[in-house]
Amino acid sequence: MTGDPFSLEGKTILVTGASSGIGRQVAITCAEQGAVLVITGRDTGRLGETLSALSGSQHRAIPADLVASKQRAELIDQCGAIDGLFFSAGIAAIAPCRMISEKHGDQLMAIDFEAPVMLVQRLLQQRRINDGGSIVFNTAIAVHISPAGSAIYSAAKSALHAAARSLALEVAKSRIRVNCLQLGYVRTPMLKRMLSSGVDVKEAEEISPLGFGNPTDAANAAVFLLSDASRWISRTTLTADGGISVRVSH
Amino acid sequence: MNSLAQFRLDGKRILVTGASSGIGRAIARAVTVAGGSVIASGRNADRLAETVAQCARPAEHVAVVADLTDDSDASRLAESTGTIDGVVHAAGVKAPVPIRVVTRKFIEERFNTNYVSTALLTQRLLAKNRIANGGSILFMSSISAHTGTHGMAIYSATKASLIATAKCLALEVAKRRIRVNCLSPGVVRSPLWDDADPNWLEEMEKRYPLGLGQPEDVANASVFFLADASRWITGQTLIMDGACPWI
Repeated sequence: MTGDPFSLEGKTILVTGASSGIGRQVAITCAEQGAVLVITGRDTGRLGETLSALSGSQHRAIPADLVASKQRAELIDQCGAIDGLFFSAGIAAIAPCRMISEKHGDQLMAIDFEAPVMLVQRLLQQRRINDGGSIVFNTAIAVHISPAGSAIYSAAKSALHAAARSLALEVAKSRIRVNCLQLGYVRTPMLKRMLSSGVDVKEAEEISPLGFGNPTDAANAAVFLLSDASRWISRTTLTADGGISVRVSH
Repeated sequence: MNSLAQFRLDGKRILVTGASSGIGRAIARAVTVAGGSVIASGRNADRLAETVAQCARPAEHVAVVADLTDDSDASRLAESTGTIDGVVHAAGVKAPVPIRVVTRKFIEERFNTNYVSTALLTQRLLAKNRIANGGSILFMSSISAHTGTHGMAIYSATKASLIATAKCLALEVAKRRIRVNCLSPGVVRSPLWDDADPNWLEEMEKRYPLGLGQPEDVANASVFFLADASRWITGQTLIMDGACPWI
């Protein structure tokens, strides 16, 4: 390995959920580290805002709703070969079990599990991921903690975690790596929406040794997993959560 | 183009134990390539000097010969570091011995080298306020702390004890935003395996889909955990094992 192991120069990276929050910051930091970005998200206007916030040139924004298989296929047709994928699109809808419906379950599984797995299926089938590439799924500390009200969300993220580990073995022959970035509470628009919907996270903030994180904390961890600095790391999970999980026996 | 500042160690002083060979040496070197200066500690003066000579800007770094199982050596080391921004505890030994033949002496020696020395050096550094606010403490655990390995009961226990300690220490030092984490590497091509049967090593390599690790791989992960890029990560253990499905 020569040069700066954390550099992303010469790499093309696809970031989903790039129109806001963590996905947006991952795209920005990857661009600052020298990568060429292909960003996707549902909101064309906000995706354009992220695009204009990226340093460097040659970046592209391709709007898509990744729950729709046709739109996934179109995205992959347009995106070309990539060296990295950061899958950040997702929702954290909270509901106690006695209130959940089949629709709630189906929606969450479609967004947080099926969309990332089927996007990767298509990328591999179309041979879009270069040898030595890195796939990173933005999972959540919910996999570890499973707080009340998160049954479906935690299950969807846990399913993704399990799928990622299996996938890592399948693609290792091409030296493609697959890892999960398991994040704790990050100050994003999604967290703000959770707070305004009445979810109480005060206790979680108090027991987190380093408090809540910022999108840049998530983005820096993503850069490590996308760069050659982590070339021997696959089928594993990097937890960035301010330390909250040290209190959980799992 | 250099990386963003948060992936670099410019202006940071890092203590690396076990720096006279293998993974510790690679970590010392990587720290200096990332812009940091190193206090390299190890038992062998000649090999330690060689480590410093291999670093970027060798004149900037300090070698401190110390046997960390010796309290006076450990005190002297903690006395000599000045303020540091991070410490990587890479000193450690291994040797397979089945439980039915282990002795009290063997267990105590292994724990002394791999656990007690690490815990007490950390204690001394904290008691002397050597670690700057926002600093990083990194313990070298092992995949053996997570998987069962024939003959490695005591070694595995010493490495698992570091993980348990890191979680508690993470809480104790969080108010100063000091972070405590562990790396758990699988088999890395290092002098630790020099006495291993080469056929065994070759068999091992086949079980690692991405091959055996290189000391540089552990060094790069160490740089990440020492750098500000990981300032929100504490109490964690990163397994790095080339996607190995089973050992």
